[in-house]
Amino acid sequence: MLETTVVVIGGGATGMGTLRDLSMRGVPAILLEQGGIAHGTSSRFHGLLHSGCRYVVNDPESAHECIEENMILRRIGKGCVEVTEGFFVLTPKDDSNFVEPWLKGCDAAGIKVKEITPAEALKLEPNLAPDIQRVFRVPDSCVDGFRLVLHNRMSAERYGGRAYLYHKVEEIKQRNGAICGVTARNLMTGELMEIACRVVVNAAGSWSGEVAAMAGLEAAITPDRGTLVVFNHRFTSRVINRLHPSSDGDIFVPHGSVTILGTTSMPTDRPDDTTPTYPEVTRLLEIGEPLFPKVHEYRILRAFAGTRPLYTPGGASGRKASRNFNVVDHAADGLDGMVSIFGGKLTTYRLMAERVTDDVCRRLKVTTPCRTAEEPLIETPDPAVLARAAKLFPVRALNLMADRLGDDLTKTLQIAEVAAVAAKNTKNTHITDFGGGNPLLCECEMVCLAEVECVARDPSTHSLTDIRLRTRLGMGTCQGTFCSLRSVASLVEHGIPLEFAPADSMCRFLQERWKGLRPVLWGQQAREMEFSRAVYAGILNLDGAMHEQNN
Amino acid sequence: MSRTTDVIVVGSGLGGLMAALAAARQGREVRIISEGTGCLAIGTGCVDLLGYAPDGASVEDPWAAMAELAPAHPYSLLGAEKVREGLDALTETTARHGLVLRPASRDGKPRNTRVPTIMGTLKPTYLMPDTFEPDDLGKAKRVLVASVMGFRDCRPALVIDQLRRYPDWANKEYFPCLIPTPFDDAHRALNALDLARAAERPGGSEWLIGSLKERAEGCDLVLMPPICGRHAGSPLARELREALGCPVVEMLSIPPGVGGLRIRDALMRELAALGVELVENANVIGAGVAEGKCLSLDISSTGRNYATKARAYVLATGGILGGGVLLEPGRAIERVFGLDLALPADVAEWTEPEIFGSQAVSKVGVRVDDKLRPLDANGALALENVFFAGRSLGAHDPAVEKSGYGVALATGWQAGLAAAELAAAAHNTGEAATGGEQ
Repeated sequence: MLETTVVVIGGGATGMGTLRDLSMRGVPAILLEQGGIAHGTSSRFHGLLHSGCRYVVNDPESAHECIEENMILRRIGKGCVEVTEGFFVLTPKDDSNFVEPWLKGCDAAGIKVKEITPAEALKLEPNLAPDIQRVFRVPDSCVDGFRLVLHNRMSAERYGGRAYLYHKVEEIKQRNGAICGVTARNLMTGELMEIACRVVVNAAGSWSGEVAAMAGLEAAITPDRGTLVVFNHRFTSRVINRLHPSSDGDIFVPHGSVTILGTTSMPTDRPDDTTPTYPEVTRLLEIGEPLFPKVHEYRILRAFAGTRPLYTPGGASGRKASRNFNVVDHAADGLDGMVSIFGGKLTTYRLMAERVTDDVCRRLKVTTPCRTAEEPLIETPDPAVLARAAKLFPVRALNLMADRLGDDLTKTLQIAEVAAVAAKNTKNTHITDFGGGNPLLCECEMVCLAEVECVARDPSTHSLTDIRLRTRLGMGTCQGTFCSLRSVASLVEHGIPLEFAPADSMCRFLQERWKGLRPVLWGQQAREMEFSRAVYAGILNLDGAMHEQNN
Repeated sequence: MSRTTDVIVVGSGLGGLMAALAAARQGREVRIISEGTGCLAIGTGCVDLLGYAPDGASVEDPWAAMAELAPAHPYSLLGAEKVREGLDALTETTARHGLVLRPASRDGKPRNTRVPTIMGTLKPTYLMPDTFEPDDLGKAKRVLVASVMGFRDCRPALVIDQLRRYPDWANKEYFPCLIPTPFDDAHRALNALDLARAAERPGGSEWLIGSLKERAEGCDLVLMPPICGRHAGSPLARELREALGCPVVEMLSIPPGVGGLRIRDALMRELAALGVELVENANVIGAGVAEGKCLSLDISSTGRNYATKARAYVLATGGILGGGVLLEPGRAIERVFGLDLALPADVAEWTEPEIFGSQAVSKVGVRVDDKLRPLDANGALALENVFFAGRSLGAHDPAVEKSGYGVALATGWQAGLAAAELAAAAHNTGEAATGGEQ
């Protein structure tokens, strides 16, 4: 039986941020996550680091928190945040009377907003509709949710925190009205894991209602479904918002080489209701059109959906429900040692973690102050390491890699250096690599062999999808058609088996990509889909092999 | 280019080339309008006829299994005998250019063979190059699995790991090997076509043979990616086999399709000898249609637009992948004539949750009569002098059935014959005048 002080349930940004905060304050803690890195909502949103402007009219408290956290994250999360700024754009379809209350709200929340002329805006963002009426520059930014969670984990681990992925909590144990432990199942092996603890933090997001119920508590969590569309191009440099009261599908967020449009809002009874639908996609495009008249012609890579964990004690729902968060100490409900964090959004994850950790520390009489706002999530890459890396990795990929890998950069470099030496010494007599260089396995997202290898060796990596979440492998134009085969081949060659047999592994990977393609099956991306089927079924008979091979 | 020709073929994939060949052999004047290289550029060089039945059962005898297909399937429309005519025309033609394609047989009956791929999976296929002896696969005990350093798409370790998962292949002894690259370090990422070209250059066969000779010692089978030359009838594979003293089998590989390009090479040489005119980099952007007939095609090529005319037309424009079928939000249309293609109104029904399931969207295509002429939504003849071939036809899913080249060559051949017949009749009735100079 494992022993610790605090068990955190949920490995999204809030849970991982809480693990980090607890660990930095010296509180022993273990995190349990049922899926992989950022399995839930932290990987299923538009990737906007809110300035707060979206909330200034209806939810001023959220707005204020957003702008503060936005500025903090820019500082501590350099590898995860791209500082882009944003536009709020009034189109002819929007009510111009909304501008005044909105400006007032921005002012009250302390958000700096500056109006520019439509002509200036079009110079900066030429793809915008020419008939836009007013444009305001705001401090929006972009954030990579996968990486944010990963880097929080790296930071937590440096302070002794431990995170178990693919571990689903099955029981929250209590004795005499107080928490005494947790039972979780390792979903990969089926084994049970017992952990003794004094405190349980429920940070399960959309699943937090289910977790509370497991402890016999009631919580008004209403999962709310949002669908998003990923375009193949980055057609803006900035985040573009429609200037009107919050509604569906009005924010375009650029990420690396792609753009994400989102989101819809629709109540659901299942936190894992994440299959996007065709009507949602067409609705998004319709709402995006006043900003980008050609949006219907842009190539769509895929659609995806996530659920928001709306906290609705009074019964408010959808857009009306507050994006605010609540720390609930269940001692008041008669269960000592159980703390839940309900609601909230990714931009304020750090603050949420701080508040919940404050609560836990009060109980444990730990007085160490919170430092998560001061210390960067990952250390700045050592220039000497970067110089060594430049000799082995494609130079174009170097900065991307350093940002992605964080603490794993040195490990990855070592793998590449060992391979380079081995290649030099073996003179091609047997299986060696690529002449010592380190080739890109994924050209769309510039992911190298050593990077894939490093991530694959991590004990919490089980599948190609896990590798994708940490490296962006397969997330570009080809959606895994070329890189999945290369990656599996290289891993087998290097003796790093994944959880599933190679054919199974690739099938699962392509299947996951397929889910996002189904509701956007037209144009160029439909051709890509047929190409992928022609290669994997038509040529490689992956579909037949699945039934004909022994695993 | 205003002169009226007998037959215009749109598309230079396998369907288009077979159609052109059929019409030219009938003595017709043929012009091919081609946008790109077509499906042969991504093909393996083996010809699939039918690998799996609609219920997913593995097929041993594709000819017998054709009888079980749905009535709208292109094979059902033609019947097995007409499929065979196309297949014979292909093999006879490629053989003339040094590329002998043939099926394996058991008890005197031709059958499918399961061929290893660069992923180490086995795929059922029908025709294989004669460098490929199916019995070698079964008999082999000690197998060298070779690839080239720096070639990311084929890694021997994966091939071996995967082959071992098949009961018939589990008990062989395997030896992985990477031979040196023929390129220097500065070369971009290698693909099979780069290597096949390098093997045909001066010193190429020495590179291949020299690198493999010692390593293949004691082996009774060598598996390698398709890099023994890119031309039809390249002697490299035979030379290699003789030098190593054991069978050499090129595994099926992902694009670029070296094997497919060898077939293309043979067909193009034949078509050139028959005087078929090839217009490349030309995009068909529309058609002149009147009274149920196609009068001309509008072409856009290198910045110039013009119309071109024929007495009969074969459209082998491909499916969704080739660009003959366009998917738009909520509907599918045939690209040249704008024919509406049947798909469920609810987009959710276009696909199944399983990627390799039976996808309505992958079976979308032009509906045709038994002469391969397009039908409208009510089942009536839409255009009487237009014939469709290959992947633009609906009601089949080559990826899952493993039937792609089979359908292409059979429908291409028959469409070409039908177009030739129509054009000849038009000549005889003096109808050529309607398609006169402009």
